[in-house]
Amino acid sequence: MNITIGHLYPDLLNLYGDRGNIRCLTKRLEWRGIESNVIEYKLNDKVDFNECDIFLLGGGSDREQKLVCKELFKIKKDFKKYVEDMGVVIAICGGYQLLGSYYKMNDEKVEGLELVDLYTEQKEGRLIGNITIKSDLFNTPITGFENHGGRTYIGKDVQALGKVIKGFGNDGESGYEGVSYKNVIGTYLHGPLLPKNPEVSDYLLTKALSRKYGKDITLDPLDDMKEIRANEYSQKLV
Amino acid sequence: MGIRKTLAISSAKVINKLCILFGKQGVTLSGKIAQKICPNILSDLSSQVKKGIYVTCGTNGKTTTNNMLNSFLIDEGFKTICNSTGSNMLNGVIAAFVLNAKISGKIDCDYAVIEIDEASTLRVFPYFKPDYMILTNLFRDQLDRYGEIDLTMDILIRALDMCPDCTLIANADDVLSASLAKKSNHKFLTFGIKNNYKDNQQSTTEIREGAFCQFCGSRLEYDFYHFSQLGSYHCPNCGYLRPDIDFDVSNINLKNGLKFTIQSKDESFDITSNYRGFYNIYNILAAYAAAKAEGHKLTGINKILSDFKPENGRMESFKINGCNVLLNLAKNPAGFNQNISAVMEDDSPKDLVVVINDNAQDGRDISWLWDVDFERFSGANVENIIVSGTRAYDMELRFKYSDIESKAIIDVESAISELLTGHTNNLYVLVNYTALYNTRRWLKSKED
Repeated sequence: MNITIGHLYPDLLNLYGDRGNIRCLTKRLEWRGIESNVIEYKLNDKVDFNECDIFLLGGGSDREQKLVCKELFKIKKDFKKYVEDMGVVIAICGGYQLLGSYYKMNDEKVEGLELVDLYTEQKEGRLIGNITIKSDLFNTPITGFENHGGRTYIGKDVQALGKVIKGFGNDGESGYEGVSYKNVIGTYLHGPLLPKNPEVSDYLLTKALSRKYGKDITLDPLDDMKEIRANEYSQKLV
Repeated sequence: MGIRKTLAISSAKVINKLCILFGKQGVTLSGKIAQKICPNILSDLSSQVKKGIYVTCGTNGKTTTNNMLNSFLIDEGFKTICNSTGSNMLNGVIAAFVLNAKISGKIDCDYAVIEIDEASTLRVFPYFKPDYMILTNLFRDQLDRYGEIDLTMDILIRALDMCPDCTLIANADDVLSASLAKKSNHKFLTFGIKNNYKDNQQSTTEIREGAFCQFCGSRLEYDFYHFSQLGSYHCPNCGYLRPDIDFDVSNINLKNGLKFTIQSKDESFDITSNYRGFYNIYNILAAYAAAKAEGHKLTGINKILSDFKPENGRMESFKINGCNVLLNLAKNPAGFNQNISAVMEDDSPKDLVVVINDNAQDGRDISWLWDVDFERFSGANVENIIVSGTRAYDMELRFKYSDIESKAIIDVESAISELLTGHTNNLYVLVNYTALYNTRRWLKSKED
């Protein structure tokens, strides 16, 4: 078996150790004897949605996000098809915001990918700090760090990724964090997200493998003692 | 005013003495109290500086560069004021002046040599306008505290707007510093390393900032990188390119300290130093350029640079029970990658302690650990690694995902103790900011 991971625009969207997420996915495959291949897409590269089994969209500064935004417009249609066809996507922070219909900053409106029913508006004050959420998809709470000026509002018919136990979440008010739609996960949690939350990593890998090989695939368990210890420690942080 | 000033200065001095007596760092508090008592104290004292005020800004190398410039100027026979302990926010700057003032409110000073935290420039410049600003480099650093580099650049531009006569001394190899110098419309001098230095122990997979042109947004093209984003660049679209270098370096030799030649318009100067680490070339170069900007001869600086003994946890060495311990501060990816390069310049067997804290001054967000190329330690002849500090478990994971074995011991003293005896007797201790002070004090207390 093998998996191809597409990293979208890592030279612009790489703000919060996002490459740690890629490394986490490839190592967890390697430790199970599954091959992996990472394609880093740069601006103007043609993205082939048949080529990849997982896409990662990371975070960037507002300026960088605007640069990416023009590019996203070109892949919007194919990306939508991929998502509706149960393609796996993990989108973090700025990448999460780009999943939606728009991101409104002060007096400027950046058009999003419109993959998931959500939108983001910038408001006074950034939401910064350690965060822990509980998702119905996973047994262990998800933990990480958030740092965003945008408040994200998700549509009535899409699920949040989880409930905020500690931290701000999507908008600092609703008590919810992130989004889960088909095989897309969007979240503000970095840290990076995946190393400390191995259940999330394995969820993405399982979905991608099952989709690719057209059958339910169960991953071999790994010794996650260190991952769980870091997760539990992080949950206690204020 | 006179009485207030006297009271402010004497209170600050007493507080600082008391803090030292109790083993505390009292600089910031003295500055704060002095300004409370006499709000205008910084303007008053700084206006007495006779020849000029230098400020040093930039993500990495501020303290090293600033202190070096200070020692160059002292060697030239000048009286200086310098915040040499690295207290670089408004209160630290105030303290540097106040603690050097006479009770009468007078200071006797030719040059002030002040490092300033980039975000604090807007709070300091209302009180004085520097004659020179050294801009060492701009890297990502503590994103939860400072935000993205774009924000830091905006702050510096606004700060420079407040002092139109200030001359910038900027790193030409850093596209962000050089672009900022150009955008600010200030007079500027540049330093850099024009040609590619091939024997450089550098990472090739580093996170590099500023991949896109600050003027037109196109992707920049690089002929080579020295490290991080420092290198030779040009924009294929708008034609922006690395500016001409006023202070250039050649003949680099990294063995047994740094040796190189600085070439400027009308002179060539051979440097011999006891510093280690490629990045220190930039620090020496920046200090040299800054002193030269005032036309000083600098004939005595090789003695200063050769006699240099690191004392502030920047490549500082200790001998404990026969074990050589090298302590070095690293607080962001660019700094850490440079530290790894410096460790790799030593090819003998070694042990390693990495201390990562997440206190407010370190930044609470430790995701930057994944932007450091720790993988390189697997080829560095490292025998044992212990990770320590409040975020030891995160650091342990970082090593795990690089296929490098490490052991977590949260308590720093226990972590270091474990590798002091019975191992290679060549121990590197890399710490981030808040771990530095206590680790250093403890190592000092254990010295043979």
